[in-house]
Amino acid sequence: MINNLLKEMPPSKSNLKGKPIFSMLLIIAIMCFCNSYIYAQAGNISGKVTGENGEGLPGVTVLIKGTTNGTATDASGNFSLSAPASGGTLVVSFVGYLTQELPIGNRTTINVALAPDAKALEEVVVVGYGTQRRESITGSVATVTSKDLERVHASTVGATLAGKLPGVSFRMPDGRPGASANVQIRNMGNPLFVIDGIQQDAGQFNNLAPNDIESITILKDASAAIYGSRGANGVVVVTTKRGKAGASRLNVDAYTGWQNWSRFPETVNAYEWMAGQADAEMNQNGRTNITPAELEKWRAGTEKGYQSFDWYDFIIKPNAPQTSINVNATGGTDKIRYYLSATRLAQQSVLGREFTFGRTNIQSNVDADITNKLKVGVQINGRIETRENPGVPGGDDYWAPRFALFRNRPTERPFANDNPAYVNDIGHNDTNWGVLNKTVSGYLNDNWRVMQMNFNGEYELPIKGLSVKGLYSYYLADHIVDIHEYTYDAYTYREATGEYERTGGSTNPYRERQTGKVYTTTAQGLLNYNNTFGKHTIGATLVAERLTRRETNIFVHAVPKTNVLPIIQFADVDTYNDSDNEQARMGYVGRFNYNFADKYFLEFGGRRDASWKFISDKRWGTFPYVSAGWQLTEEGFFKSLGINALTNLKLRASYGVSGDDDIGGLGAFDYIVGYSYPSGTTILDGNAVTGASTNRQVATTNISWFTRNQANVGLDYGLFNGKISGELDYFYFKRNGLTQTRYDVLVPSELGYALPPENLQSDAQMGGEASLAYNGTARGVEFSIGGNVSYSRHRFLESYKPRFANSWNNYRNSGEDRWTGIFWGLENAGQFQSQEEINNYPVNIDGQGNRTLLPGDLIYKDLNEDGKIDGYDERPIGFPRDRNPIVNFGLNFGASYKGFDFRADFSGGAGYSFLPENELRNPYQNGGQVAKVLYEDRWHREDPFNLDSPWVPGTYPALRFNQGGHSNNRQSDFWLINARYLRARTIEFGYALPAGLLQRVKIQRARIYLNGYNLFAIDNVHQFGVDPEVMDTNGLQYPQNKLVNLGVNLSF
Amino acid sequence: MKKYIFMLLAGLVVGNSGCNNDEFLDLEPKNILLEEDVWTDKTLVTSVLSNLYGRFPDFQSIEDWDNFTEFDEAFASNAGTYGNHRNADYGYGSWGMWEYGYIREINSFIQKCEAATELDPADKAQFLAEARFIRAGVYFEEVKRMGGVPLILEPLTYDFSGDPSYLRQPRAKEHEVYDFVISELEDLKGILPNEVSDKARATKGSALAMQARAALYAGSIAKYGTSTPQVSLPGGEVGIPADMATGYYQKALSAAQEIMTLGYSLYQKKPDLGENFASIFYDKNNPEAIWVEDFKLKTGKTNGFTIDNQPRYQSEEQQGGRLNPSLNLVQSFENLDNTFAPLPIMDASGNLIHYTNPADLFAGRDARLYGTVMLPGTQFKGKELDIWAGYMRPDGTIITSSNLGGQADINGDGTNEQVVGFSGPIDGLEFTAQTGFYLRKYLDPAAGSGQIGTRSEVWWIRYRYAEVLLNAAEAAFELGQPEVAAGYMNQVRVRAGLTEPLTAADITFDRIVNERRVELAFEGHQLFDMKRWRLAHVVWNGNRMTVSDLTTNIGKADKTSTMPFGLWPYKYLADPNNPSNTDWVFRIVLPNPVTTPDRFRLGNYYSQIGEDVINNNPLIVRQPNQ
Repeated sequence: MINNLLKEMPPSKSNLKGKPIFSMLLIIAIMCFCNSYIYAQAGNISGKVTGENGEGLPGVTVLIKGTTNGTATDASGNFSLSAPASGGTLVVSFVGYLTQELPIGNRTTINVALAPDAKALEEVVVVGYGTQRRESITGSVATVTSKDLERVHASTVGATLAGKLPGVSFRMPDGRPGASANVQIRNMGNPLFVIDGIQQDAGQFNNLAPNDIESITILKDASAAIYGSRGANGVVVVTTKRGKAGASRLNVDAYTGWQNWSRFPETVNAYEWMAGQADAEMNQNGRTNITPAELEKWRAGTEKGYQSFDWYDFIIKPNAPQTSINVNATGGTDKIRYYLSATRLAQQSVLGREFTFGRTNIQSNVDADITNKLKVGVQINGRIETRENPGVPGGDDYWAPRFALFRNRPTERPFANDNPAYVNDIGHNDTNWGVLNKTVSGYLNDNWRVMQMNFNGEYELPIKGLSVKGLYSYYLADHIVDIHEYTYDAYTYREATGEYERTGGSTNPYRERQTGKVYTTTAQGLLNYNNTFGKHTIGATLVAERLTRRETNIFVHAVPKTNVLPIIQFADVDTYNDSDNEQARMGYVGRFNYNFADKYFLEFGGRRDASWKFISDKRWGTFPYVSAGWQLTEEGFFKSLGINALTNLKLRASYGVSGDDDIGGLGAFDYIVGYSYPSGTTILDGNAVTGASTNRQVATTNISWFTRNQANVGLDYGLFNGKISGELDYFYFKRNGLTQTRYDVLVPSELGYALPPENLQSDAQMGGEASLAYNGTARGVEFSIGGNVSYSRHRFLESYKPRFANSWNNYRNSGEDRWTGIFWGLENAGQFQSQEEINNYPVNIDGQGNRTLLPGDLIYKDLNEDGKIDGYDERPIGFPRDRNPIVNFGLNFGASYKGFDFRADFSGGAGYSFLPENELRNPYQNGGQVAKVLYEDRWHREDPFNLDSPWVPGTYPALRFNQGGHSNNRQSDFWLINARYLRARTIEFGYALPAGLLQRVKIQRARIYLNGYNLFAIDNVHQFGVDPEVMDTNGLQYPQNKLVNLGVNLSF
Repeated sequence: MKKYIFMLLAGLVVGNSGCNNDEFLDLEPKNILLEEDVWTDKTLVTSVLSNLYGRFPDFQSIEDWDNFTEFDEAFASNAGTYGNHRNADYGYGSWGMWEYGYIREINSFIQKCEAATELDPADKAQFLAEARFIRAGVYFEEVKRMGGVPLILEPLTYDFSGDPSYLRQPRAKEHEVYDFVISELEDLKGILPNEVSDKARATKGSALAMQARAALYAGSIAKYGTSTPQVSLPGGEVGIPADMATGYYQKALSAAQEIMTLGYSLYQKKPDLGENFASIFYDKNNPEAIWVEDFKLKTGKTNGFTIDNQPRYQSEEQQGGRLNPSLNLVQSFENLDNTFAPLPIMDASGNLIHYTNPADLFAGRDARLYGTVMLPGTQFKGKELDIWAGYMRPDGTIITSSNLGGQADINGDGTNEQVVGFSGPIDGLEFTAQTGFYLRKYLDPAAGSGQIGTRSEVWWIRYRYAEVLLNAAEAAFELGQPEVAAGYMNQVRVRAGLTEPLTAADITFDRIVNERRVELAFEGHQLFDMKRWRLAHVVWNGNRMTVSDLTTNIGKADKTSTMPFGLWPYKYLADPNNPSNTDWVFRIVLPNPVTTPDRFRLGNYYSQIGEDVINNNPLIVRQPNQ
């Protein structure tokens, strides 16, 4: 039957490519057919399978040995099947239990009680090139599994990790559909992603279907050295789900949700805008053309031409849908196991409904035991990823609508005479949302089509514990971006004549296509040895690996004659760029484990690795590591201490060296002297000549990778038989060999080239993590509470013979032995309370004798007491503003009672800065809007038209019209916020329908849930209306969404 | 069977670790040409040479609009560039250049070309001459900015011995660099072909044009340097002895006169003299251009100058309006009777003068005004400019809007009318014509030039015949031959409609200076002319200007001009009930973003040499007055 299923699969697989929904339905149909077949079969053996507490075990595989005749137990643990005439043996197997074989004889009823398999219940952790029992792990390794990930309904995998793992820092500054989060391991930079054993890029990681992931393991310390020249920033190891021997299951996980922006800065209405302008002009010039009578009309807002327009309401459409459905089929026999899955995600944005993201994933993992000794497997995953939106002139199409919210004035209107047939010419129509739709301005389609295929085979050699394994993977990604921007007209309505006159618009027809392809191959050979001799357990792994990657890109641009057809004509083409880059890497890995009586653990190993990037004698590097663990609770002396509560205490330490060939300033082939081609175009004799540049005059032959020396100590603890558990870690990672040009030999600049850099500088990443989890049961309520906190900060150590022209220079610009990314600025010392105070103030604040200052303007500390404020008064005032937080933490709660379950996850960060600038600091930036907070809470005169009227204090300085250069706007701790936040990531209520009810409709499990994602945040940047993770200083990034969704989990 | 599988898998491991590692890792780059590929192939040598041409430095050019707003020629109507009108002092490092990477590449090209054995000798001679021309040009660009610089004529290479002192060379004297440039070009004019139609590559004409300009610069530094004795160095790295002036002026005059025999002429193809002047810069069928940086559509080598600066209103894209020529420049264009006068906006008793068409205000002026500046009431790409600041009532009150083309109810009848131009001016609103003017010179009238997908193929003229005539005129004037000077100057002026010839007696230093100001505006001359005449610290003296400072002493070489003023047209609303019954009045304004006058200090005459350069080579002496 299961064989039948497999025979049925190939046609459905080919359909998956184009019509995912259809394919899913096909899978459902097949599975229903199979299931009904199971139940329809009459049998003469029946029975019940029970667990250790006598409860019925559903889904247990029951098989006649040596045949494909088998079945699975139902929800109550009952089974029945037809037995062969000759009797035979019944094999009863279930994950986490010891398999039992029972001779049938002539029995017709066989009840089986399965005993738990102590070994199988042990947590197995995926590490580099293999798996290990949690108990034997000696490195700093964190793991999250599907049951934690599936509650987070983010569109990309990285976004599901917030707060889940100690040592993983998180920031998601951009929340547009399909956006990825910045996820780093211990703030070390971009980690390496390894998916089912294959080194991959971040895009492939983020766009796996979250449902298909079994576990994610983070290698945080020297355990990453096994990945050699690419492991320096830690490794994220992903394993997709595999089929397990047992009953076939069809699972459906579907939800539909509604998204809204978590936050966005607010702006003022037309009356406030005009009043503010009058205020600003009086402040700046002492006069304004705006009259109180005119303002009164704006306030009333009834007269034509004096009505406020709310661009936010016009552009932002709340409750943007996000839906996802995953259907997977999993199961297998003792010989063959499969996991087949298809997922469709559709995400819209709040920007109208034309800015969308969609993704279809398929995953097909099949493992087969050809013989007792030979196993083969194949994992195939593919996806189609689509980003679509209106085509907008300029770079980022998501920028235009957000910029429009601040660029457009509330006194401007999108349509001439409010007639939607005529786009209004507002003079900056690139932000007129009346234009920004696919009908008027064109479209952008960005598509990825990706297929990865892994084939592997494993053979157990005649020597006990020794096996050999081979793996080959081919990955092909196809990326096409199509942009077509149309010409359009914008009008002015002439009221006197009632005519719409074309006064503007775009006559720029723009057509672009980028076609990129990525091809990677991975070939691996592994030799594995594992054996136990009494109390000694020995393991060894040897790997040889070769990796290639090739990226090709073609960019074509044309000026089409028409808006209506997408086909590019040669006659219209004006740009064709072609590029082709290849990479090759290879490595040899060795790892040896020793474990004595589960008490002492030792692991050492390393990798010898080579990268194409360097000249041949700098190519190879060796990356060794060693780690050890000591399980104190297994010691006799510990037991004699009688601390019964402490049931697990393991000390760990590791040290190793990993590397990175992605070093700044060095390109591939920098060791070759020659001419870069192409290098610009020059028109000679009327013809275009492609340039060749001689900038490669001196070869860079002395550079190799930098290395990261990683020292980590930690302990795992458990109290009350694991009811409370957690880990503590401290690490200090030093990087050597960062590139710098040697500066003790000063070559004249007239030489014409700089000396090549060398591997000279060093820096360090240091910090630690702690985690705590509690699991308990009280009055039938099972609950768990967990939390983790991590700290990781980057410090520059030393450069080669730094030089400073003077002591100020040394103070201000030195990085030697300092934290990096420190934000420098002036220290605010309050605000002027009166003009008199300004007139008498001894320090020149604005560089113009304080002529430009008004009450409410900022006073800065004259730290060097030279009577003027300038760069010499700047001091460190904040943390890095464009990195992940230095402190990351997470809190997780879970509870279940009978069919009900509840889950709440929180995460947060601190140790980073948010800098409000531009739109959030400068009113009327670009002549556009004013942030509401700057308007409402400002210093202003009681009567703005009377320069003698008294000042009313506020938090923010008096308004100026788009005067970004004012001394109030200098970088200071008045504006800079050392940010911190705690946000609710996931809050979920679920209810599983009673099994009895479901049995009648042949459903194994049904659960419905209500889930909220990013519902609220507690932070100290809310006054500006920005999301706490936003990075752009104008606050106009697409913030993360609040998502509320309703979902269902079904198993058949 | 099992044995085979075992062997297969074992083989995979072993095969992986085979001896062909280097073969696996040695990838071939796909974008690097090797030496041996290049120096045997004329086409690839041309590729390398084209790259050297393509990187020739210009301080101001159509690839960098904002540099034109650093002085008083234009206002930057772009919020990010308002700083140009807010900084009191020019930084000492401004306009600096120390391009020895580029120079090394040129030297290396010359060295390798000389050593190449497989090139045709004629090709080789041509390549060498062109590379030497570029090198002479680069040293000229260096000396204009920095004064004397080390004259390095071979590619230097460091031997990693730990002692790089053998690489150190001191700065040459300023005149030595000029002498090198002049003598190289003297040599090259005999090698390079006289191809009047070849504009983008070095020719005899371009060598001579560069030589004439370089000699004129050296001559005027020698002569006018005496007025700023502080701007010198004892070693002669900065400053040229006064007694060398005559020799340089003679060289300048003779080189310019030699060009006059080569077949170049003034562009005079169009009957409308204003349009004719504008056409010089976009019509490539052009006897006037001598050496240009060329652009061509659909090649990737196009420029966005038109996109940046086209009138915002009729732009093809929502782009443009950045360069606003100043009233300071506009009023420097003479009346056709050879007199200087402010624009007549007010009569003697202080009443505004009314015009039926805004363009009438500019009638009777030098045709180059129309060809250089887009004036209110004129057209671009067949469409009338929409530059007007609002309605003015008889009592002087103004009705306007802060939105482009904004509307308001003028006569209280509940009907809204447009009350400000779609191109402004709106004070402080970027991209509007905040001075009341847009730029016409180098703006491309071709359809599509204002579209970001198409851009423009208008070229950048580095040397043109009119400048040669003015160089000859200046050199002749300085050599005491005013009648010769008048002859050359009148050729240029007649083309501008100034048909009344200047006599020898009319030729003054003020005339020479103003003629270059109006003829060569927005062509990258202003800074270097002001420096060589030692006028920069006089004209850009850091003093705030009033309107009367602006409107007096027009045409005087030493007239203060530190802030860019504007002139705004208003529709005069005599009868409020009839908004169509209007005429035009004008008001002089100082755009709000202009807060600080420009100040050029004595230390700005030669740009600062970077600390790093001095650290790296102790033989480099610092510039004076910094």
